Amino acid sequence: MPIVTPGKRPAKRFEKSKILGGKMARGHKATNAELNVVPMVDMMTMLVIFLLQQFSSTGEVLYMQKDIKLPDARHGQMIEIAPVVAISSEQVVVTGVKVADIADLDRDSGYLNIPTLEERLRDEKKRWEFIHKSDPGSKWDGIVNIQADKTVPFRIVKRVMYSCGVAGYFNVNFAALDAGSAAAQQGLPPPAG
Amino acid sequence: MGGGGMPEEGGSGKKKKRSLDAVINVVPAIDLLSCCIAFLLFTAVWTQISRLQVAQLGTGAPETETTEQQKQLMVTLAMGERGFNLATSAGTSIDIPSLGRGEKGEIRFDLKSLGDQLKQLKSGFPDASSITVSAEDTVSYGDLVQVIDTCVGSGLAAVSVTGV
Repeated sequence: MPIVTPGKRPAKRFEKSKILGGKMARGHKATNAELNVVPMVDMMTMLVIFLLQQFSSTGEVLYMQKDIKLPDARHGQMIEIAPVVAISSEQVVVTGVKVADIADLDRDSGYLNIPTLEERLRDEKKRWEFIHKSDPGSKWDGIVNIQADKTVPFRIVKRVMYSCGVAGYFNVNFAALDAGSAAAQQGLPPPAG
Repeated sequence: MGGGGMPEEGGSGKKKKRSLDAVINVVPAIDLLSCCIAFLLFTAVWTQISRLQVAQLGTGAPETETTEQQKQLMVTLAMGERGFNLATSAGTSIDIPSLGRGEKGEIRFDLKSLGDQLKQLKSGFPDASSITVSAEDTVSYGDLVQVIDTCVGSGLAAVSVTGV
């Protein structure tokens, strides 16, 4: 069935007859309304430019969590892809898997290492070695990202750092919010300097 | 003003005027822009997280290569409830007391004075680039990061962290 323009479609013999007062014989009104799309194209172009500025080739390495509020830093470098140890005020999580409770760590404060964390990081290291087995040029750099809440005491961070070092992750990166984006989130101007 | 007027046709004047406006089909452009917006919205990173690289002492990590001049000066910054103590192997020891406690009981460190002292130190020893931060157990992660940030901003980029 052919596609026809919407509107009145009288039978062929009525189309030119004057039986209905000639109403059917009147000139057909154009049914295609012209839309001005120029403002829409302008808006889309602006959106694309804004989103391109926000684009990051490394992607989202660290995910913001409700129970972790990061401190601000002005002289930080771009974050790298590496295993993430997240320390909140309640638990220690490695790449999404909980390895320790802060309360338990406070209870056995006589030890410096965290065995479950070491074990998990060793697994991560083994995985890296397996992936790069056929690539002799790649060198183990031992990078680990520590994402901790700003109120977490250093006694916990110290134990996490020690466990990372024992597991072979001696290159520690402390995660912090870039001061520019932190100020933007709070609606403040970025700090001078 | 008739800035954008049509060109006048001389001669007979009976020729049929052809429209000079070219119609550009913007539908492919809109399609492309829509795809771009969808892709960029999916991949957008809204929070800019940065990193502060630190080394840790006493875990068997390979030592970074330092020149003789850098080895000559060792800078140690101890931080605790009383404030900072900035000491160097040259014999200087500077105390920077804390500014008391905040509303929630947290220690308020004098980061501005620390930054000034570190810049002064850096101007006296331009080759110095490493510092060891020694923090007490009660120091919070937020304060530690801000101190490391101050050190990096003062030109001492190779920061090592250790406990007391």
